[in-house]
Amino acid sequence: MRSFLLALWLCLLPGMVQATALKEAPWLPEAAAYRLSLFMGNLSPVPWNKLRDSWEQPAPGAAPATPAFELISAPQRDAVDAALKAEDRQAFFQAVTRVIAEQMLESLNASEAALGTAEARQHMLNAQGFYRAFADGIQAGDKKAFSRLGLAWLEMSSALGTEGLLGAGKNAANPAQFKQAKATIAEYVLANYGTKSFSNRAKLTPIPESVVKSGQPVALPVTLPPGSNIANQKQLPLLVLQFESAGGDETELPLVAYGDMLFDSPEIFGSPARDLGMTCSTCHNRSDVNRELFIPGLSSHAGGLDVDGAFFAPMFNDRRDDHIDTPSLRGIRFTAPYGRDGREASLRRFTRNVIVTEFAGAEPTPYMLDALMAYMREFDFLPNSKIDRQGRLTEQASAAAMRGESLFNQPFDGMNGKSCASCHVPEQNFRNGQIYDIGSDEPPFPGGTPMAFDVPTLRSAKFSAPYFHDGSLPTLARVVDWFNTTKDLGLDENARADLTAYLEAVGDADEPYQVFEGKETEFRLAFDELTTFATTLNTLLPMKDKANIKVLVETVAPDLKADASTMKNLSAKSEVYQLANLLHAVGIAVANDKWADADANWQAFQALQNEVDERMY
Amino acid sequence: MGSRRNFVKGAVAALIMAAGTFSSSLFAAQHSQADELKLAFIPQENPEKLLGDIKVITKWLSDQTGVEVKGFVTIDHAAAVEALRNGDADISFMGALPFVLAEKEIGAKPLLSEIYKGAASYTGRIFVRKDSGIKSLADLKGKTIAFADPISESGYMYPLNLFVEAGLFAEPSDAGNFFDRSYFAGGYQQSMQAMAAGLVDAAGSSQYADLLLTPQQQSEVISIAESEPIPSHMVIARNGLDAGLEAKFVEAMLALNTAENKQYLAYIYGPEGYVKSNTDDYDGVRALARRYGLMK
Repeated sequence: MRSFLLALWLCLLPGMVQATALKEAPWLPEAAAYRLSLFMGNLSPVPWNKLRDSWEQPAPGAAPATPAFELISAPQRDAVDAALKAEDRQAFFQAVTRVIAEQMLESLNASEAALGTAEARQHMLNAQGFYRAFADGIQAGDKKAFSRLGLAWLEMSSALGTEGLLGAGKNAANPAQFKQAKATIAEYVLANYGTKSFSNRAKLTPIPESVVKSGQPVALPVTLPPGSNIANQKQLPLLVLQFESAGGDETELPLVAYGDMLFDSPEIFGSPARDLGMTCSTCHNRSDVNRELFIPGLSSHAGGLDVDGAFFAPMFNDRRDDHIDTPSLRGIRFTAPYGRDGREASLRRFTRNVIVTEFAGAEPTPYMLDALMAYMREFDFLPNSKIDRQGRLTEQASAAAMRGESLFNQPFDGMNGKSCASCHVPEQNFRNGQIYDIGSDEPPFPGGTPMAFDVPTLRSAKFSAPYFHDGSLPTLARVVDWFNTTKDLGLDENARADLTAYLEAVGDADEPYQVFEGKETEFRLAFDELTTFATTLNTLLPMKDKANIKVLVETVAPDLKADASTMKNLSAKSEVYQLANLLHAVGIAVANDKWADADANWQAFQALQNEVDERMY
Repeated sequence: MGSRRNFVKGAVAALIMAAGTFSSSLFAAQHSQADELKLAFIPQENPEKLLGDIKVITKWLSDQTGVEVKGFVTIDHAAAVEALRNGDADISFMGALPFVLAEKEIGAKPLLSEIYKGAASYTGRIFVRKDSGIKSLADLKGKTIAFADPISESGYMYPLNLFVEAGLFAEPSDAGNFFDRSYFAGGYQQSMQAMAAGLVDAAGSSQYADLLLTPQQQSEVISIAESEPIPSHMVIARNGLDAGLEAKFVEAMLALNTAENKQYLAYIYGPEGYVKSNTDDYDGVRALARRYGLMK
């Protein structure tokens, strides 16, 4: 029981591949470096320095945190190093692929040599750890081999034998069975990954060489590299919707509910974001940020990524390695213009830009944009009793913050006689809608014009670290230090601490995170949201709106199934699957113009929902 | 809410650990002294994480008990039992089956049982794919099945015994004539993945083993049989451990049940809490161990 209940990992392994790299099991260091090599080797331009780091430094997502170069042989290291120096993509692919194949074969040999001891299993698990680096390619490209090899792993595991416990349950190893299974795997891996010559790879993938050589098309599911984290932030931000806090009910606001669904739907994006299950809220958890989001090669640090690179929407690749810190969307209706550089005055146009140019989605319909606007305009800042309506501190703020408030409003020569409050205007939600070059970015070339950036609001800012457009400053204290240094403000340590206390006070919240207790579980929160989304069928079915019903069903039904795995009350899991199936049936009926059937399934969904409601936690 | 397909909280364990490297990270236990307690941990997830967890929980236990508590990782249950036997470990985390064997052979003593999903027990199940057409245990005649490990109560003994109870064969040793082929996949997750991927027709595994699959896979599998309750994993002590030390340790562990200390449960395998073990609860495991020839 323990071995799975305690661990919070999901891994790609022989026998299992899926599009989304969830919370993964750690990878062997060499396998992690290999998968990072495939991912980053497909970026354009290829980030050669990062590729070298993947082998010379501990790779993200690997355990133990040992550089792969320390674990491979000198000839293997030399081959990888030479390809890196030459910046030869094909040679690099060949070298790193052979490394993994050879390491796997070495582990298999070690396992065979240790048969009859506990070490044999450890070596076999190691071999599986290397095989894992190829497994999705084999499964996608050569299903028969994938099954054959999968059975061989089972045969091998069964042939290991066991020394038992205090002499009990001792089973002898079966060397012949092991040898045969080992040969099945070794021959395949050697032929497809340890070969002397590989076909030229336009795209670096773990698809077997024999399959690539045959020219047959392969649909390889999209994966992210080891160390990626696109799961929600562990401390889930509290979502503050204006209508809801005022006592309203989203089920009575179908356009808002539909926009809420779209905000949570991968269906509005194109591949690979859609295939990875990414949504608006992947980065903007509950209207705020996801401080833990990280994709090696795309993120310089957690909390953001390069959204106009080669991965998500190659057509819009600006070929710059420019990580953007994810901005919070709290109070978005009050914070125009949009984009870190304030390039769009319209939230609607900016949203369309995110869907189409950043995440390769199809052109959204006016209805979709109307819905997204209706939803996002409900985002409010976190209530904060430390400031009043004019943005002044209240008596609940600390003395240090009060002293900081004076500094915040004090003109400084280093800022051309302006104060912090000149731009972060307290009565205007601590921003002024302008863009400035404050020296936080370098000019694109000597003599060029540096980028100017939008003045960010300071409301709710305490919970959206790091700061600046590139997330280069990890704390508000570092922001104060930056201004003090670059603008020569002359603030001593106490003054800087006071100013920081002020920023933390105006950026504070009475309740920043969602609280889960008892039956108020994360599943319940998700269930309430998904069933609220489904209520838009009350509007869409009478309108016979096939397109939007399709998006709704394809978003909500799989999400219900996915969320069932997070239930505390596992005994009610099958009922969630039933709900998902009923919704799916609505979608099928609508697609076939069987509107009466669609209505019937929707009625059945609602009846079942009412029946099982109390068990949904 | 969002990213639902990426957010798996109930989640899942790893088949592939940094296994080959982990033995190098084990550190040898030292013989016990009266003013210290040595805890043996079994690596069932990322061993590096376990080592980090051990630092946190042993410090907390040291603070609570006033006794220096040290922890070390063993390679498996057998090594942990060996450590209890030779005094390298005073206390160990343990499964129910290894416990009853250790109790009989070296006089190990049950101290605490883990609580999961509100109970100090769980079950073994037989899982199949929903699209397999397999509805009952009898349907598995001539089919293939994967179990976790031969020394596993929920990953082998209890699930296999379901077939005996159903009258499909008389003794566990007759299983070879019933199934076309049975495998020991190496763990819960491996057996479940083999079944979900279609490599085998069924998996005999723990009650919650479907949580080891992806959310999509979870919706595609079903349990067709469930065993009687199995006592949950536990904490046991070596024979002859000083009663005072044992009492301090048990008191500290039970203090983990309070709201103030619950956060530390995450550092020791993450149960919901602990209760004192009742040795009578393990009679069923003892009986089954005898049936499987593991005990006399």
